[in-house]
Amino acid sequence: MIDFVQNLISGIAVGCIYALAALGFVLVYKSSRVINFSNGQFIAIGAFLAYALAVWAKLPVLLAALLSMLLTAGLGFLVERVFLRRMVGQPIISVIMVTIGLASVLDGLMYLTPFGSGNFTFPQFLPQGGLNLGGLSVSYPQLLAIGFTAIFLLLFGWFFQRSVLGVSMRAVADDQLASMSVGVSVQRVFALAWAVAGLTAAAAGIVVGAVSGLNQDGLIAIGLAVFPAVILGGLDSVPGAVVGGIIIGILQSFSTAYLDGLFSQIGLVGGGSQYVMPFVVLLVMLWFKPHGLFGTEEIERV
Amino acid sequence: MRNPWAQTGNYRTSYEQDTTIFANYREIVSVGLLLVALCILPMFLERSQVLVLNFILIYAIAVLGLNITTGYAGLISVGQAAFMGVGAYTVALSAPHLPFWLTIPLGGLTAAILGFIVGIPSLRVKHLYLALATLAFQEIFVWVVGRSPALAQGAAIPVEMRNFLGLEIGFRNHNYFWYYIILFVLVLMVIAWRNLLRGKYGRALIAVRDNDRAADAMGMDPGRTKLFAFALGALYGGVAGGLLAYMQRAVVVEEFTLGRSVALLAMAIVGGLGTVVGSLLGPAFIEFLRLYMERLSEWMKSNAFIQSITPAGVDVASALLPLSFGLVIVLFLIFEPRGLYNWWRLLRSYFRTWPFRY
Repeated sequence: MIDFVQNLISGIAVGCIYALAALGFVLVYKSSRVINFSNGQFIAIGAFLAYALAVWAKLPVLLAALLSMLLTAGLGFLVERVFLRRMVGQPIISVIMVTIGLASVLDGLMYLTPFGSGNFTFPQFLPQGGLNLGGLSVSYPQLLAIGFTAIFLLLFGWFFQRSVLGVSMRAVADDQLASMSVGVSVQRVFALAWAVAGLTAAAAGIVVGAVSGLNQDGLIAIGLAVFPAVILGGLDSVPGAVVGGIIIGILQSFSTAYLDGLFSQIGLVGGGSQYVMPFVVLLVMLWFKPHGLFGTEEIERV
Repeated sequence: MRNPWAQTGNYRTSYEQDTTIFANYREIVSVGLLLVALCILPMFLERSQVLVLNFILIYAIAVLGLNITTGYAGLISVGQAAFMGVGAYTVALSAPHLPFWLTIPLGGLTAAILGFIVGIPSLRVKHLYLALATLAFQEIFVWVVGRSPALAQGAAIPVEMRNFLGLEIGFRNHNYFWYYIILFVLVLMVIAWRNLLRGKYGRALIAVRDNDRAADAMGMDPGRTKLFAFALGALYGGVAGGLLAYMQRAVVVEEFTLGRSVALLAMAIVGGLGTVVGSLLGPAFIEFLRLYMERLSEWMKSNAFIQSITPAGVDVASALLPLSFGLVIVLFLIFEPRGLYNWWRLLRSYFRTWPFRY
């Protein structure tokens, strides 16, 4: 029982990372219907920027994290400005393929830096060990992941409910034409959505850095695991992204604990089922409930 | 009376004319000449150059399939390499028991069945979701192969074929022999592709891609049309994978990863989506790009000056490939979305109308 709860907690902590990364992804999808295949690269760039600022430029970790989030947001803005704005009016397939190409370009750019290979660990900024709650231990990085995500969600909630920009983003997501006619700048909203996507991706990357080490392939794999999370929650639902992310995190933690043995019994040796289970869930969701738990079903009127 | 050889364009007055394979006699002659040229080409080439050609032709088959799913049906597939892998592993497992003219179709069939299963969501949702289904399949495929002792956990499984109708296939003539087999299969696949897509079914696919509601209202079943396209695209991938297995004499999982799927997608885009000419030009372009990038990185590794200016830990060589692939995809999509096919078309019409501009 204690193992079960322990796995649950570490799953939630990992899930928080997915939830953060999924937030920005869903925002881009909601406002412009673009599936962003370069999300993992944004996560990696954000994490490596924070590392570079903290270790090489010797900034305090918190400041480095904040700066890297802002810089990655700037990168998201730039990407929208340079590549995606040109694609307005093109078929949506081309736009998605641009993000696939972009992922490849960003991969290549990362190989040009020392971060392309090898592992990196953040400087120790959290105290060792963790809280001990009656046999359960919650490490400080895990607490940080959960706390960071909670703060982000509160900020997002405030942003979308109260601020003018947030409300206009919701308006564009709801109906582009109508929001244009009441004076919302759709272009600015798209740019902002990409900037926020960069920001949340960087936040996710930084949390990964705090919980475990940084490694390009690992960070990009997190970007891929965001897809199951958003499909599970519903592609166009912000609360869905959070719930989906956390469920995928728990699923991964449980599959390491309980499924690896099961898989080896049916002849799939080597373990590592936490890498494949999210995609199995993705495929099954697409078969049976493609709009996810909270997504809106498309109803088309002729 | 019109002279059919001097015909400059298409003047079509009936549906039958619209569905003909060749618009005029000149096209028949040029396709014939191209085939003859491809048949005698290996005689002038070294063994290693034929190998490059073999890869290009194999990828051309896979890209033809991708051109059904992505080009005609408008469903993005980032799993074509996995379907190639399904074909390759089917061949690897059945090659000791069956002749190659049975194992390769079997590989295609297995891939088609899996493509059908992966494509089931297309009955209910639109194209965007399908990209994610193929991504999931791609990841699951690589994982399962890497964990299966029966498939050597992704390490090389040898695929041997020593002789064919008494002809000894050894080290010297291996590439040449498979060149002609691959060319033959490619021609068959192109004929099938053209015949399938010029008729009722191809038109249904275009209609569904452009406006599925209108297609539905006109009595087509968008879901089933897309699902069939998906299975068909996977079949082409499976056949290509089977040929690759024989040609490389081994199957390794590294050939069938997400990166390769993206490369195949790049080939389809660069060549021009939905065209036969593009399915040949795209793989040729990307393969030569890859070849020259590899040479460039070899050169950079051996050049002392470049080594001295790159900081420690930086791997310029492995950066070149993803960087050039990504840039090619993005630049083609932004500046020439119709791909190399469009350049080919412009070139052709330049010569056809010469000395006039149009």
